[in-house]
Amino acid sequence: MNTEVKNGWWAKSANGRTAILYLLPSVLLFSVFIFYPMLRTIYLSFYLTDQSGKAVLNVGFDNYAYLLQSPEFLNSMKATGLFVLYTVPIGIIIALFLALLANEKLKGIGFFRTIYSSTMGVSVAASSVVWLFLFHPSIGMFNRLLSVVNIPQIQWLLDPEWALFSVSLSTIWMNLGFSFLIILGGLQNIDEHLYESSRIDGAGYFYRLRRITIPMLSPTLFFIITISLINAFQSFGQIDILTKGGPSQSTNLIVYSIYREAFVNYQFGTASAQAVFLFILILIVTVLQFKFGEKKVHYQ
Amino acid sequence: MKLFLLFIVSVLMLAACTNSDSGGEKNDASENGEGKTEIEFWHAMTGSGQESLDDIVASFNESQDEFVVRAEFQGSYEESLTKLRSVGGTPDAPAITQVFEVGTKYMIDSGFVEPMNTFIEKYDYDLSQLEENILNYYKVDGELYSMPFNSSTPVMVYNKDAFKAAGLDPEKAPETFQEVIDAAAKLKTDEMAGFSLLTYGWFFEQLVATQGGLYVNEENGRSGDATEALFNGEEGLKVFNFLDTMNKAGTFGNFGTNWDDIRAAFSTEKVAMYLDSSAGVADMIANSPFEVGVAYIPYADDVERNGVVIGGASLWMSKGISEKEQEAAWEFMKYLTTPEIQAKWHLETGYFAINPAAYEEESVQKAWEETPQIKVTVDQLQDTVPGLATQGALISVFPESRQQIVTALEELYQGKDPQEALDEAAKGTNRAMEIANKTKQ
Repeated sequence: MNTEVKNGWWAKSANGRTAILYLLPSVLLFSVFIFYPMLRTIYLSFYLTDQSGKAVLNVGFDNYAYLLQSPEFLNSMKATGLFVLYTVPIGIIIALFLALLANEKLKGIGFFRTIYSSTMGVSVAASSVVWLFLFHPSIGMFNRLLSVVNIPQIQWLLDPEWALFSVSLSTIWMNLGFSFLIILGGLQNIDEHLYESSRIDGAGYFYRLRRITIPMLSPTLFFIITISLINAFQSFGQIDILTKGGPSQSTNLIVYSIYREAFVNYQFGTASAQAVFLFILILIVTVLQFKFGEKKVHYQ
Repeated sequence: MKLFLLFIVSVLMLAACTNSDSGGEKNDASENGEGKTEIEFWHAMTGSGQESLDDIVASFNESQDEFVVRAEFQGSYEESLTKLRSVGGTPDAPAITQVFEVGTKYMIDSGFVEPMNTFIEKYDYDLSQLEENILNYYKVDGELYSMPFNSSTPVMVYNKDAFKAAGLDPEKAPETFQEVIDAAAKLKTDEMAGFSLLTYGWFFEQLVATQGGLYVNEENGRSGDATEALFNGEEGLKVFNFLDTMNKAGTFGNFGTNWDDIRAAFSTEKVAMYLDSSAGVADMIANSPFEVGVAYIPYADDVERNGVVIGGASLWMSKGISEKEQEAAWEFMKYLTTPEIQAKWHLETGYFAINPAAYEEESVQKAWEETPQIKVTVDQLQDTVPGLATQGALISVFPESRQQIVTALEELYQGKDPQEALDEAAKGTNRAMEIANKTKQ
């Protein structure tokens, strides 16, 4: 009787076991590069580390408690939130606009498609350096232009009121190429017949846009919104090069703050605690998005 | 001939041994095919510093046939220190690593390093030939742990043409805080700010030290592990008030935290006076379309001038590597301190010669005649009054503390109360030191 039950279970789980076998390579890779570092981060977040980064003093939830009452951390959360708000919606709207333009079948449209997606080919570091020169307080292009039209100069990266805006501006530009390309790909995948029949029915451009293009594009838009959100939360390179988190911490986004805490201050404990907060934050945002956003997505 | 054969055989055996235990990896220092001892030298020099250093390494490799040094650029000081942390104390560590001055305490505490003193005593090396004011910084408890290499101090750089235009004497730079404030007010035009300071902790430390002020307790961290920041005391407040006065008067120009930005501002005549590293002076003189003056850094009006603290970096020898490699590292370091090499280094980079005999070299004397401003940087160092303040603070959390100062300065420029901004920075530094002391084994 017993053995029969066992056999039954063994036989029933055959599919499951095969599945695990197939999953094994990715599970192994994920364990080494994602799960282990994640568990290690959580472990470290309960410790203070010594000068060589070894966990030496268990402090329980002290690191978390410290962060929650630390004005710097709260400020960097706020800056991250604002940064996401500035970059994601505007970036996607501009990319969508450009993609709609570039989706028209015109002579030489390939040229514009290449130009619009070209920022994808420039690394964050290289483009940040270019922007650094554009924003330069005394010899920068933007301030030169302002002085030509007699507008007082702006301390783009040195004024705490402007710095986050300036960094967002360059980030939107950097991410534009990628969003553009993905959205254009989505547009090209929409079945031509839908447009043809709607034209026969006498639908105008904006009606078609609202009733055909956007719904058919929604899976792509959903994808790009998710990716852009996560990317924005994890922005680092442009901050490191343009502002180093300054002035007055106004651009100290959370990933940069983690980097500073870990590799400048060598406090892996508090850095890990910040990383855990970031993880939870991204998790919540993504879950919310799937819960509410995906309902509106139309899969063909 | 027999000896030579024996040597070859032993080298081959050694090579076989090292190969078997390092898994055939050859990135680490070891004997190379020609029987020379090969060592790695990690540095953080870019631009003219890197070129000059590569030259020096090549000439060392040619000068003798026992050792080969391979210079490897490992990123900024912070980056190379981070890399060192993962290999420090193992046979894979580079024989020599260049570490910035504020990493001194960290390196000593790390246990990765062979103190220089071991070799100085072993070979009876005459330390007195090196610059005393530089050695003072790197000596801890009377012992030298690392070999000073590229040393610099801050100086005040000013635009002589702007001085003339404002009716100031271009040959006499302002010396005290009040004099700088007054001069800045006269120099200020619509296009040009009077004075500027890079938003970087190092300059603040220097302005405190030149008044004789200490940065932290425990005799600037030299008699024990520091536990409390002192930079928010009287001297630090004077520095903040000095900057605040000019900022409020509109004569101060803020060009951020980037060295290149403030230098560009000066050479495009957006600011008339600023503090720079002595290592940047030569380039500034050569690249500016106007006459450049160099002067000592300013000090508070009611105190004596103490002078400057050494900045820059020193070379550290690793522990845990073979004796032969340590020998090679020592030979290379000795070579670096010779007057000829130091003269070349001083002229090509603007860093100080750690061996003052270099200043007697003909090439240096000639260069000084052509650009007497460079000599000012050396004079300022040699006029420095040795003492706890100018010896420089020793804390392991310096990078973090500097960041706190940067934030405090930025907030000051936004109108925060000077004392409040300083106290906040001191609080952050205290917490960092507390954690460092708590976790120290």
